[in-house]
Amino acid sequence: MIDYFHLAWKNLWRNRRRTIITLAAIAFSIMLVQALHNLSAGVYAGMVDSGVRAGSGHIAVYQQNYLAGREEALHFKDLNLVSEIEMIDGVEQVLPRLYIPALAQSSRESRGILLIGVDPERERQINPFLKSLTEDAMIRSADSRDAVVGARLLDELQIKPGQKFVVTAQHQDGTLHSELLRVRGVVSSGMKDIDGSLILVGRERAGLLTGSSSSVHELAVILSNPSYEQSVLGQITTMLAARPDIEAVSWERAMPNLANAIKLDYASQKFIFLIILLIVTIGVINTLLMSVMERMREFGVILALGSKPMVLRGMIMLEALSLGLLAAAFGTLLGSLATWYLVAVGINLADLVPETLEFGGVIFDPILRANWNPGWMIQIAIYVVGLTLLAALYPAIKAGRITPVEGMRHH
Amino acid sequence: MLLTLAFRNLWRNRRRTLLTLSAMVVSAALLILALGVFSGMFKDMLASATEQYYGHLVIAHPEYHLRRDLYAHLPIDIVDLPAIDRELAITGKSPRLRSFGLLSRPETSQPVELLGIIPELEQQVTSLQRQLTAGHYPTAEEHNGALIGQGLAHKMKVQPGDELVFITQAADGSIGNDLLIVSGIFATGDSRHDNNLVLAPLPWLQQVLVLPGRIHEVAMVIDDPMIAAQVADRMAPHLSGNIEVLDWGDLLPEMREVIAAYDVSRMIIVTILYMATGLGILNTFFMSVMERTREFGILMAQGMRPWSIRGLVLLETLLLSIIALAIGLFCGAIMTLYMQQVGIDLSAYITPVTYAGGTILPRLHAVFESGNFLVPAGMLLLVSLFAGFLPANRAARLDPVAAVRED
Amino acid sequence: MSLIELKSVSKIYRLGSQEVQALTDLSLTFDAGEFAVLAGPSGSGKTTALNLIGCLDRPSTGQVIVSGIDLGTASPRQLADFRLQHIGFIFQSYNLIPVLTAAENAEFTLMLQKVPKRLRREKVCKLFADLGIDGLEDRRPSDLSGGQQQRVAIARAMAANPQVILADEPTANLDSHTAEDLLDLMRQLNQEKGTTFIFSSHDDRVISQARRVIRLEDGYLAEDIRITM
Repeated sequence: MIDYFHLAWKNLWRNRRRTIITLAAIAFSIMLVQALHNLSAGVYAGMVDSGVRAGSGHIAVYQQNYLAGREEALHFKDLNLVSEIEMIDGVEQVLPRLYIPALAQSSRESRGILLIGVDPERERQINPFLKSLTEDAMIRSADSRDAVVGARLLDELQIKPGQKFVVTAQHQDGTLHSELLRVRGVVSSGMKDIDGSLILVGRERAGLLTGSSSSVHELAVILSNPSYEQSVLGQITTMLAARPDIEAVSWERAMPNLANAIKLDYASQKFIFLIILLIVTIGVINTLLMSVMERMREFGVILALGSKPMVLRGMIMLEALSLGLLAAAFGTLLGSLATWYLVAVGINLADLVPETLEFGGVIFDPILRANWNPGWMIQIAIYVVGLTLLAALYPAIKAGRITPVEGMRHH
Repeated sequence: MLLTLAFRNLWRNRRRTLLTLSAMVVSAALLILALGVFSGMFKDMLASATEQYYGHLVIAHPEYHLRRDLYAHLPIDIVDLPAIDRELAITGKSPRLRSFGLLSRPETSQPVELLGIIPELEQQVTSLQRQLTAGHYPTAEEHNGALIGQGLAHKMKVQPGDELVFITQAADGSIGNDLLIVSGIFATGDSRHDNNLVLAPLPWLQQVLVLPGRIHEVAMVIDDPMIAAQVADRMAPHLSGNIEVLDWGDLLPEMREVIAAYDVSRMIIVTILYMATGLGILNTFFMSVMERTREFGILMAQGMRPWSIRGLVLLETLLLSIIALAIGLFCGAIMTLYMQQVGIDLSAYITPVTYAGGTILPRLHAVFESGNFLVPAGMLLLVSLFAGFLPANRAARLDPVAAVRED
Repeated sequence: MSLIELKSVSKIYRLGSQEVQALTDLSLTFDAGEFAVLAGPSGSGKTTALNLIGCLDRPSTGQVIVSGIDLGTASPRQLADFRLQHIGFIFQSYNLIPVLTAAENAEFTLMLQKVPKRLRREKVCKLFADLGIDGLEDRRPSDLSGGQQQRVAIARAMAANPQVILADEPTANLDSHTAEDLLDLMRQLNQEKGTTFIFSSHDDRVISQARRVIRLEDGYLAEDIRITM
């Protein structure tokens, strides 16, 4: 076997220029696919991270059926759930929330909004919208009249921080209920939908509107590392076995917009990867076929000397394997260098698109950074070796089909 | 004569030429298809914002756009401004009054955005009448008929014929509330419209808001959304100081940026994909030149100039890329046409995705856009010539004496 | 029992729509230890006959029997095995594999037989010494003269100790001095080791050395003369 490898290696370098160009094409494609994939993996991870922190967490706990229509009536008493879930390993924070559709009114204007009742202490540690606020802009307690409001909404209501406004919602008993709130903090995320509609208040105060105090619609569970998702989800589900009215779901189900944005983007990227690999495969077929056609006479001699057609085919497959392995190694090296650059430096999108960009309901950081995915990189390298072998099939079959006499008659 | 020679040379090693050709055709055709589908997504995204809501152009009070100030209203007769009538590109215009409030039923209330419209005019601007899932589009005769989004209808558990109460703050400071009857339900796929938007007759809303004869904006559509900014520029000088014209780019600056950035990203995708193809072309022509060393030597010995040799090789690459382009553009167009006519419905796998203020629908559906053909075509020619240059140079620099001796 | 027997063998090639009768009703028998030449002008069927003897090709009609085995019905795979075990080849244009060194070329059939590397090298070194090309083991074919290349080719043919070595115009590309040397060498191997040599040639130097001369004309056997010394 070693001997055949040795021979394959020598044959590979027969036409040095051709092999180098082919090698460059394969390695370049591997690098591209690996670097692009790592870059999107990094961007997706960033989107998911900011998405779950501002949204419903890595894992969200709801009343059954709440996700289907987000009906206000589907809230539940949290009992000790928050503290129990908090005890699970890998859970960074549990955020209880109440979502109440309401009308916000100033003396001049009114806007329909979704009032979010939160636990201010907990929320502040996680929610990116609150993190940037100073102490005196924060909601002081769960039952205070303090509100944190989106900048655009504040402007549309034509009120200023410190001023009062009224929110009106439908109480459980069917009557309309109003509460007076005071603007304490202003969120300016750059995202039109958020800045135009966000109102955060203390959970108890929000509950007064509908008569659902100490109830929640959602427990957003934030993990210290996204990789714990499966195990924590399993543990919470087990914990909820006694409460069939409540379910725990992953962020993909709780935030389909974000999950699908990533899916869609990744799908279009895969299509591009597919084209790249297809073109490279055609190039490899071309190179190997040329190399085989040039050596028909030699193959005739080798067959005459007593080599079986299968051995000849094997020799060509071995050449392809060496080419594939070399290209995979070289391409992965280049891919690693590119990834290293994209991890350390990244690409600044701000130069290209000055506006704040929203995708799938989250803002993405204008500096795109890659994530390391060694497993995936190796996988793509193995695919390419496989493709090279696939590309060698036709030339190998062709070479194995000649008879020694035909081969030697070839010029 | 040179052209015939180039053509025959290409056909000498038919298998190699065909393989290289197929790589070029595959890359060009699939690129065109992919770009067509991407353009389709952008078109859906833009349409979700303009054809389902904003319109391509809007005229309003200068104070209105940023704050949507209830009091920044204009008289309804601005619909017939000469500046609008004179602009032939405008194919539809709709006066609108906008209000935000709560839509109430005994069991639940939901925040909504309510547009007061004149049905036959609004249908020229937005396409909701084509996206009805139940009931009918409100008619001018129904004084309080409302068209509401499917998500909203679902949350409020209403059907056509059901009653709803709209509560908001009127211009006189009072709390206005009045009864609406659901005429129809629409579904656009964009959750922000489906869960939030209500269309009701303009006179009804004018009465609720105590703003008789007033509107907030006139939304307009044109045939080609890409020229909206030019149309706005043409209109602006003819409008008085208390009226401004905005195109969709002003209303949705992030979408304008994303669509502008598409030209750059298209260039990047095309370049990246053609690199692999280009290396294949380079390889083929190097091999073809090396095989013909002796022949080039003889041609040179007979007095052919290096530049003519170079020209011959470049002509061969050019010829190959033109053939590849003809086939590639054809196949690309066929596939784009298929995706335009049939498309692929992805709604079983994904839900609509919001992007840059618009919504990408869960379908793959292509549109024809000249740039999606011109860029891949031009780049392929460029890449081929570039890939042919090195082998051509190599052939031109041969020493005739040594080349002839070559076996 | 004779080593190789051709029984009324005919070979027809198809060239496009045309049929070419390369051999007609040829019957020949070779015994072990022969030093024979197939002579005749080009196109007389020498190479075709040699290809049939060497199991490179199958006859259109007739039988080829080697060591009592009828190879007319053997599969390409069986033929390959048979060649590997029993037959060595020497070609007009040497046909060494350019990417391998001289020694690696000579080892090639041994490699196909899966002989361990060390044993192969030992054997080839000895052969190289016998053939007078010791010291050239690590040279590439392109660095060798025609005579040296042909000696490497002989080493390759001999390496697996075949019963028969077939040589197609082995001297055609060599100058007369080198050709003489090479013939002497093969004659010596024939006498010392008893290896059967069958040549195809129209070179008088080869014919004059042969112990049996088989003349072919237009695919027919013209004469078959055994020379005793």
